[in-house]
Amino acid sequence: MLQVLLSGLTVGTIYGLVAMAFAVVFYVTKVVNFATGQLLMVSILLTAGLVRLGLPDWLGVGIALIASTVLGVIIYFVAVRPVLKFDRFSFAWLVSTLGIAIVIQATFAIIFGPASQPFPRGLHQIPVHLPGATLTVQEILTLVVGALAVLGWELVRRKTLVGKLGMAISTDPEIASTFGANVTAYAVGAFAIGGFLAGLAGILVGPITYGNPYLGDTYGISGFIALMIGGIQRPAAAMGGGLILGVLSIAANSYIGAQASDWFPFVLVLLVLLLAPNGVFASGDSLRKLFRRRSSLTVGGRA
Amino acid sequence: MSNTIDNTLVVEGLSGGYDRFDVIHDIAFRVGRGEAVALLGPNGAGKSTVLRAITGLLKHRRGTVTIDGTNVVGMGPHQISRGLAAMVPEGRRLFVGQSVEDNLRLGGMRLRKDRARTDQLLQSVYDLFPVVERYKAREATALSGGEQQMVAIGRMMMSDPSLMLLDEPSLGLAPLAIADLITALQQLRERKSSILLVEQRVDIALEVCDRIYVLSEGRIVDEGRASDIGTEGRALIDAYLG
Repeated sequence: MLQVLLSGLTVGTIYGLVAMAFAVVFYVTKVVNFATGQLLMVSILLTAGLVRLGLPDWLGVGIALIASTVLGVIIYFVAVRPVLKFDRFSFAWLVSTLGIAIVIQATFAIIFGPASQPFPRGLHQIPVHLPGATLTVQEILTLVVGALAVLGWELVRRKTLVGKLGMAISTDPEIASTFGANVTAYAVGAFAIGGFLAGLAGILVGPITYGNPYLGDTYGISGFIALMIGGIQRPAAAMGGGLILGVLSIAANSYIGAQASDWFPFVLVLLVLLLAPNGVFASGDSLRKLFRRRSSLTVGGRA
Repeated sequence: MSNTIDNTLVVEGLSGGYDRFDVIHDIAFRVGRGEAVALLGPNGAGKSTVLRAITGLLKHRRGTVTIDGTNVVGMGPHQISRGLAAMVPEGRRLFVGQSVEDNLRLGGMRLRKDRARTDQLLQSVYDLFPVVERYKAREATALSGGEQQMVAIGRMMMSDPSLMLLDEPSLGLAPLAIADLITALQQLRERKSSILLVEQRVDIALEVCDRIYVLSEGRIVDEGRASDIGTEGRALIDAYLG
């Protein structure tokens, strides 16, 4: 049971980081970057390739993270900004980000080939035995990084002027710009953070999955499902969605069948969309109201 | 007309609109230093479009808009906001999910490195609107319409602009809140602020402003001193604006 929970949380943190990458971009620009999964794949394959060329692991990881961050910004300038400039309210970014995702995937398939590339095992080789469960140091690091990502985001958002200006841009970019907010700079920053988070997820999951050019699809879809479960409006909620998806997928694998995690997320997201269309952690949704009603009934009953 | 030394705002030959269709045509007017000027007109006359052109929110615009000697046509809104102009938008549009004080401090973004000046401006907003100070920790959009309008005016004051722009500030307010609004605008006038007020309510414009311009179908069709307009004139303008 504890093993299922901890493994689920670890996998969920990876989904959550990808979902956060989606959500940070959406938070500022109201655009869903469908190439987010490919940024995860880029960081894995680049690390694998650079280490194979003889670079130390840490240098390969550093360069891969920089590359996924920069690629995030390039996606903004190539696939998003031109279409928003043409029509700010159009959904053309939907096609353009999907298009660039295919281009990135095809490019990496040509460079690295379709076969799986070995990824440095690093901290994944070191087990940590707990009462009732075993994790690796890499998995513990994943949990810590996920927690730090959410805490860092919320601290900046709530406690700094930069974060509050980001909130203002998120709710009303036009008026925020009349008070000095450079909306374009914030959009670039959001795509950079999105690229970094997706790249980070790749580095953390790489020792388990190894690298192939089609990993982006798998993790992009899982991250997007996590986003739908948690709620697209808040990056921290997206991480919550990732954790729910991760724990329930691993539980389904353990208690229903080995392949259950292939279909279970889709059932889960359907249920969430029915009960809480804005996400489990979005404010004002029906699931939250249901819990509130139940707790108020309990309090009323006691009184 | 274009004496920029005595004027905070000089607009000449301003045309512009949306999707390459002009909504305003060859607009020309000025706001003197410390002067309050009203732009009156019926719905759809192009009043808000003029304000959007001045603040840089309207990309498709031609002519010259000179604020404090700087032609701002071609500048983006975040550049114009650096001390030249600030606006109370129609419907207030306070930043959702943020406290009253955060809304005010975001208004003063451009002065964020000058902490003393920011605190001084914040105090001047609180002095003008004690109710805003009382509710400074509350979520701004949870206040009443009148209180939100005070916050919106305070947010504009926080950027310490040369020109203050107000887009239909009386819209949707109860009569008592409108009375408070008029008092607030008169106090801003006493501080020698340069104000451009867009209004449909003629009585408010005449009570607060020195001069008025009347806009119809995107063109300025009349102008005059507020003090020269008698009861008959008011009735006429009222009838004209519908």
